[in-house]
Amino acid sequence: MTIFFRALTLVLLLAVPAAQALAGGNELAFSWQSNCGPLNPHLYSPNQMYAQNMLYEPLVRYDAGGKIVPWLAERWDISPDGRTYTFHLRQGVTFSDGTPFDAAAVKANFEAVRKNLPRHKWLELVNQLDGLEAPDPATFVMKLKGPYYPALQELSLIRPLRFASPAVFPDDGDTSKGIKKAVGTGPWLLAETKLGEYDLFVRNDKYWGKKPALERVRVKVITDPNARLTAYETGDVDLIYGSGGHASGQIGMDAFKLLAADKANVTGISGPLGTRALCLNSGRGPTRDLAVRQAVAHAVDKAALVKGVFLDVEKPADTLFASDIPYCDLKLPPFAFDRAKAEKLLDDAGWKLPKGATVRQKDGKELEIDFCFIGNDALQKFIAELMQGELAKVGMRIRLVGEESDAFGKRQHDGEFGIIFNDTSGPPYEPHAVVGSMRSPSHADYQAQVGLPMKADIDAKITQVLTTTDEAQRAALYKDILTTLHEQAVYLPLTNMTNIVVHRQDVTDPGFMPTKYEIPFQGMTKR
Amino acid sequence: MLSYILRRLAVLPVILLAVSLVIFAILRLAPGDPALSYLRLSQIPPTTENLAIARENLGLDKPLSDQYATWLAKAARLDFGRSYVTGRPVMDEILYYLPATLELAGASLLITLGLSVPMGVAAALRRDTALDHLTRAVAFAGVSIPNFWFGFLLVWLFSVELGWLPPLGRGGLSHLVMPAISLALMSLAVNTRLIRASMLETMHHRFILYARARGVSEGTVVWRHMFVNALIPILTATGMHVGELLGGAVVVESVFSWPGVGRYAVSSIYNRDFPVLQCFMLVMTVIFVVCNLAVDIAYAVADPRMRLGGQGGRA
Repeated sequence: MTIFFRALTLVLLLAVPAAQALAGGNELAFSWQSNCGPLNPHLYSPNQMYAQNMLYEPLVRYDAGGKIVPWLAERWDISPDGRTYTFHLRQGVTFSDGTPFDAAAVKANFEAVRKNLPRHKWLELVNQLDGLEAPDPATFVMKLKGPYYPALQELSLIRPLRFASPAVFPDDGDTSKGIKKAVGTGPWLLAETKLGEYDLFVRNDKYWGKKPALERVRVKVITDPNARLTAYETGDVDLIYGSGGHASGQIGMDAFKLLAADKANVTGISGPLGTRALCLNSGRGPTRDLAVRQAVAHAVDKAALVKGVFLDVEKPADTLFASDIPYCDLKLPPFAFDRAKAEKLLDDAGWKLPKGATVRQKDGKELEIDFCFIGNDALQKFIAELMQGELAKVGMRIRLVGEESDAFGKRQHDGEFGIIFNDTSGPPYEPHAVVGSMRSPSHADYQAQVGLPMKADIDAKITQVLTTTDEAQRAALYKDILTTLHEQAVYLPLTNMTNIVVHRQDVTDPGFMPTKYEIPFQGMTKR
Repeated sequence: MLSYILRRLAVLPVILLAVSLVIFAILRLAPGDPALSYLRLSQIPPTTENLAIARENLGLDKPLSDQYATWLAKAARLDFGRSYVTGRPVMDEILYYLPATLELAGASLLITLGLSVPMGVAAALRRDTALDHLTRAVAFAGVSIPNFWFGFLLVWLFSVELGWLPPLGRGGLSHLVMPAISLALMSLAVNTRLIRASMLETMHHRFILYARARGVSEGTVVWRHMFVNALIPILTATGMHVGELLGGAVVVESVFSWPGVGRYAVSSIYNRDFPVLQCFMLVMTVIFVVCNLAVDIAYAVADPRMRLGGQGGRA
């Protein structure tokens, strides 16, 4: 029998040198839950946004606090009627295949996106596109059907309005059928993709801007957050960057705390990148009653939630949008945790607690609310159970409805919920795109608001805020809309979602980017 | 023998047809909406209009029987449609990831057989000694420990603490060792116990006593008389282990980021990528059925009673 153990030992010994072979050169190892996809700038899944952002660049970039800054366009003029945008393009920029980046290339990319209009309908700017002109190689003119102020914000999105070399377009120019090769103007090139194993990005040495310090970024495919943690601990991964703790997160929040406690690691938590929120249905069940919705908001102890569930990695949110989002620093009074106030609101509204009962009643009906969540999402389940306990203390019965994600999505779509999870999209979609979608019946936002007496008015104001060219009027309209929604308590903001970063001392990072899916590889170094 | 094999192979299409019907029914009867899955995975907003377009494109607006017939006709030509997530043909993707899984399962099977035979035989021959107790303890632990947890323990010891082996990915032998051992653990434990029990049962037969009385050497008694006769239940178990190893790979591949079809299937289950799930289950059925057939053929080879119609024993 010993021969078998000898053989096993031999196998292990043979394996050791191979394991110790290290990746050479200035290469940073990162990991993601899937391969990056074919990297078509004009398409969505399976293209991964972090990777599209490495290869393709926008005309303008979204900077901290919502400021729009020049990128491939050095400057731009907007006509007084808000319908004509003239972009003056940066000179001397080439795609990584040597093709010049000029107005013709910009126009070709815009046209390609327009060819696939149904696919991009969610993005209002694409619907608004009217005429596209390239009067000279350095000037691109974009005409809109009507004024639409978030045009620049939507040009900064990672997709679909970024630019691939026209040389890689299919012959009919329709990039929705695929492109010949992933070629952009960005600081990185996709050198190799091995399905299920890794994607390798190399530095674009012809990049027009500041070239990355790193030579290569290898993104390994790791689906399991625990496997990612061990890969980091063994040095097989240098960087953890992204959202923490939920289904698509990089590592669990407890793992993050563990790594943060070790001085060998550099860790960080970003500012708000969207709001984890609940929608309260104003059109169905007891939450039709404003007092019930306000009582729910007062009955939840967010501080305990943040401490117990989010381990302080996410901070409590009091409003639908964080105060650093444009037009959203409104100083709205928060619904403070106050159980007595919640009880009084319910008592005054006629929701009384009969003697010996634990659930309030009004007109013979019990105060029972359906709380809908994705059954296999551990975080949502935990929050739902916690809130069930909290709301029971003020005499509400919460019926937990945990289902798989499609059934959950159908409830959001059809308005079949009392309370449901509905996170905001984060910058640069906030506030304009989130507010804009409140008019669409397929969104939980619309369904939650449908019972409000002033819903028609809200929708009209939303249309107005997106089209007005008057900055002061826009701010006033946003204040009006967001104040109404806040007072009506159709949203219960829980926490501000964040990104996390972890790396060892040999890596430096330039800090967080203002949006969720941009990873600042070009500012990173590794010793 | 040949006609036996042909007969068994002829049943295969019938089994696959029945399985395909069950798979199709289970997936379609489950709550949720494939059109909604498709939109979500393609990151298209699920408006009523988009849902209607998706239903039509995916053929979900037709009656279930039509949907099944269409799917079956395509499946017969090995066209299982395209993944909702990647947009690539499902069969191509599964065939791309399958070799890695077969490599892992194959290595685990080798470990299972290579270690369980000597351990089981030794435990039987040295019954109730320290060696036997140790083997039984190892087998007990092996059955009780979940393979993903054992996998994490191995990674902690050999990758994090000692730094000997890479914690993830596919590559040389060094990458294969830990996932293969984690995956083999359960089968190894079951097989060891089975071989021990089977050997103990065989060693009390009279032909063993007679062989010893004839002065046959102890090695020949153990291997030629005892072990070969104890082999039949082990063959059955091995057939089942193949299924167990392929099933276990689903979990172990995620732990070790092994680029196999198991991890691909887990992602598909999570995403509710219907075309992938249908194809994956069918491919696994084929492998399972073929392995069982191979075991039955091995029976016939190992045991003349099966070949010759059940007369007499081997002695």
